[in-house]
Amino acid sequence: MSRWTRTARRALWASAATLALFGASLAQAFDLTQLSAQLAKPALVRGPFIQEKHLRSLPQPLTSRGQFVLSREHGLLWQLRSPLQQDYRIDDRGIARRTAQGWQQQPGQDVAAQQSRLFLAVLKGDHAGLAEDFELQLSGDAEAWQLDLTPRSRLLQQIFNVIHIQGGALVERIELAETQGDSTLLRLPQSQPGTALSEAERHAFGP
Amino acid sequence: MPLALERPAMQRLLPRLFLALLLALLALSAWQWRAGPPLQASMLALLPQGAGDELVQQAEQRMQEPLNRELLILVGHAEREQAIALVQRLGQQWAESARFEQVQWNLQADLAALRQQLRASRLALMPRADRQLLIEQPDSFIQQRAAQLFDTFAGFSLLPIEQDWLGLGARAQQALNPHQRVQTDLASGALLVEDQGLTWALLRARIQGDSFDLQAPPAIAAQVASARTLVTAEGGQLLAASGLLYAAAGQAKASREISWIGGTAILGILLLLLLSYRRLRVLVSLLPIGVALLAGCAACVLVFGQINALTLVLGASLIGVAADYPQHYLSKSWGGVRDQGNWHSWPVLAATLPGLSLSLGTNLIGYLALGFTPFPVLTQIAVFSAAGLIAAYLCAVCLLPAWLDGLQLQPAPGLLRLSEKLLAARARLLARTGNWKLLAVLLLFCAAGLLQLQTQNDLRQWLGAEPQLLDDAQRIAELTGQQPTSQFFLVRAADEQQLLQRQAALSVQLDGAVADGTLLGYRALSQLVAPASQLQPLREALQDLPQHWQPLLAAGIPEAALNTELAQLLNSDQPRLEQALAGPLGEAWRPLWLGHSAAGVAGIVSLQGLNDTAALHGIASGLDGVQLVDRLGELNSLFSATQLSAAQLKLLSCAAIVLLLCLPFGFGGALRIVCLPLLAALTALACLGWLGQPLTLFSLFGLLLISAIGVDYAILMRENIGGQAVSLLGTLLAGLTSWLSFGLLLLSQTPAIANFGLAISLGLFFCFLLSPWATPTRNTTAANEARSPL
Repeated sequence: MSRWTRTARRALWASAATLALFGASLAQAFDLTQLSAQLAKPALVRGPFIQEKHLRSLPQPLTSRGQFVLSREHGLLWQLRSPLQQDYRIDDRGIARRTAQGWQQQPGQDVAAQQSRLFLAVLKGDHAGLAEDFELQLSGDAEAWQLDLTPRSRLLQQIFNVIHIQGGALVERIELAETQGDSTLLRLPQSQPGTALSEAERHAFGP
Repeated sequence: MPLALERPAMQRLLPRLFLALLLALLALSAWQWRAGPPLQASMLALLPQGAGDELVQQAEQRMQEPLNRELLILVGHAEREQAIALVQRLGQQWAESARFEQVQWNLQADLAALRQQLRASRLALMPRADRQLLIEQPDSFIQQRAAQLFDTFAGFSLLPIEQDWLGLGARAQQALNPHQRVQTDLASGALLVEDQGLTWALLRARIQGDSFDLQAPPAIAAQVASARTLVTAEGGQLLAASGLLYAAAGQAKASREISWIGGTAILGILLLLLLSYRRLRVLVSLLPIGVALLAGCAACVLVFGQINALTLVLGASLIGVAADYPQHYLSKSWGGVRDQGNWHSWPVLAATLPGLSLSLGTNLIGYLALGFTPFPVLTQIAVFSAAGLIAAYLCAVCLLPAWLDGLQLQPAPGLLRLSEKLLAARARLLARTGNWKLLAVLLLFCAAGLLQLQTQNDLRQWLGAEPQLLDDAQRIAELTGQQPTSQFFLVRAADEQQLLQRQAALSVQLDGAVADGTLLGYRALSQLVAPASQLQPLREALQDLPQHWQPLLAAGIPEAALNTELAQLLNSDQPRLEQALAGPLGEAWRPLWLGHSAAGVAGIVSLQGLNDTAALHGIASGLDGVQLVDRLGELNSLFSATQLSAAQLKLLSCAAIVLLLCLPFGFGGALRIVCLPLLAALTALACLGWLGQPLTLFSLFGLLLISAIGVDYAILMRENIGGQAVSLLGTLLAGLTSWLSFGLLLLSQTPAIANFGLAISLGLFFCFLLSPWATPTRNTTAANEARSPL
């Protein structure tokens, strides 16, 4: 878990994907306490992702697709496959991009890292901490729930209006509505718990 | 004059005159202190003005202002939330305090205003490397932008994509925040640095007024101390850096040292007087000390408007000299022991007055010589001491005899016997070795010592900063990546465009220094507004961009949108410098702009984390209008240069003293009286070498004073009133009182002052040892004993 606290800070989407991993079990009266209680279970999740950037001035969203592998032990492998190929790796060392010369560590991703910290509060079940920054609203049940985060701080309010996270057995959809009218939708339609890393994945996470 | 002193009318008139003067002095002082003590705490204020012109001084002031007014705090805690909560608590507490003009612990950015400025000045803000990429490799520029559009982890861009299709704004935004270490917490806005499991939250405060306000530094230091207690109690750590804290530490140290060095000196002198003369009333002879300090302060405030704390500390040593004057006649009471005669104040004064007046003259010459150095601190000390010495002399001559009139001193006979024994031992030694052999040995000792002597001149001696403050400042520099340096470049030009061009040319050189590691970073106005000459090639490259933007079209971006943005970029006027500075993005650059003057415009390029000062000199030399301002280096070389002029001053003051002493003693006698203290100073210098202590500017000034004070003892011995043993005893007492105060300066924690104290202590010791040689040969001694007033 503590490995996760460091890793998940790195990016919003990484943390959201963590939700997908841990939000597995079904419960009846579904609240944040229970959601967080379920977060510590599986060790590995794989699946495809589809990211859509909806811009006001474009009729079609900017869409990208790929595969992700989330390992509780090693971190997140994010493999963008179309329209271009690019691999990312997120672990305690930070965000790295794969280049022809091998993995290249990215300089501190200021705001991206900050955004994910908020989700960290969910992961740790720190409702009080999260409630300081966001209005939280959890609706539905464990099979189909939605968590809405509305920013309280002035700085955050100037960046996004609301963040919706939806899931069933796993997180399926994360949507960020930006103040300037654009929004980003991340779909994780077919995430599956896995058992072990492949040789290539193990190699990608490196020593 | 001696005759006049015998007259009762004169004996009544003099004390009255003096008391009237004293009353006037008291009134003047009361008026000067009406609005609190006119004390100045900043040690730096005592450093000489830089050699530069008005603009250089304005720039120096601009660069130093944050040092004197700003406070930087880092609150560290293992729990991120705790660090934020603590810094928030401190920030709110301090914001309510009247001490601070501005307290900032979080980013209260108005993003709308930031976005607007970023959008309007994207072109001018583009960093050089990005401009180069666009001009030389447009394909790669476009490919990178396309990748960024799909990058899940690209981070947050201020401008929405549709206002920044080509990504110029995103690149400019990256360049605006060069300190990657400090991050903004999006929820609270707190400014955070993560390091080795700790989260540090930044707090910046600016005080009302400045650090020259004497009350401010201790109040700020107290506030930091209580904040530290609070943070520590919550399991956190606090680091603080500010020029104010150095000032507070210096002030506390100075007042501590004034009270204990001054207090101990007075106590020591008090005991010495009581044990020597064994009469309580003799303590009135301490009065000249008080009068001297009062007159010194009043004169300084009169001349400079203020008196610096360092002047007070060094001036406190005046106690020793001021206490010497009454010794001239009090010590003659031992003559009475031997002759069974009585000691009467006025006649003894009449007999010793010529020597006393000569002492004042030589002391004044020595102290005033200090005034001709380019160091404001020494000028202040010269004024302080000259005024103090004159006041002490007047007190000793006009008032004390009246108050001591009719007093029967009971001088301790043991002391006289000691003095006689010392003289006998000297005689035995001389009988065995002779003068010349002894002198040869002494000179040999001096030569060997001088060979080992090392000079050292460094501003850090002057400050003697507290190690904890230095540690904190260094930690903060490491954590925030901000390491401001005192060196900077001043760039002058005819107009704004030329200034930006010159700064841009300098930036190219500085980029080289950054690349090879001699420099961590820099800030130039041309980063905020690129000169027109650099925008032109950029616009040309933009015009050709449609040939290269296929990857963006492939990603689904309509060509019309790209064309609109391109047209906008090509047609928009980039803001002028003053406009850009006024916007929210310009905040960090504002202090760098010195504005318009008759000669044109000027701006600063500030530097971060400098590792090699020498490399900078080469950079400035080839560029027009660029000047490296290196105050620290300038001061250190000034220290060295002043050593030479101090030595010349010493010789000059000696020549002046010889001239003065020619009148009563003839040329031969005068030369002998002056050579003895010089020899003593030389021996003290050699001792510094033997002790492995460096010769600094301050030890040299100590020795300069010795040449004046030592002459005093030589005169006492030369006059030889009451016999050699009595005179030597007078010298011993005078020397002991001086030594008590100067010797104690040796224990000061400020290296500059301690160094001064050591040199002067050694000098005084050798002055005493050598003083018997000032006494003329036997036959004249007899004549002088006949001159005894008793």
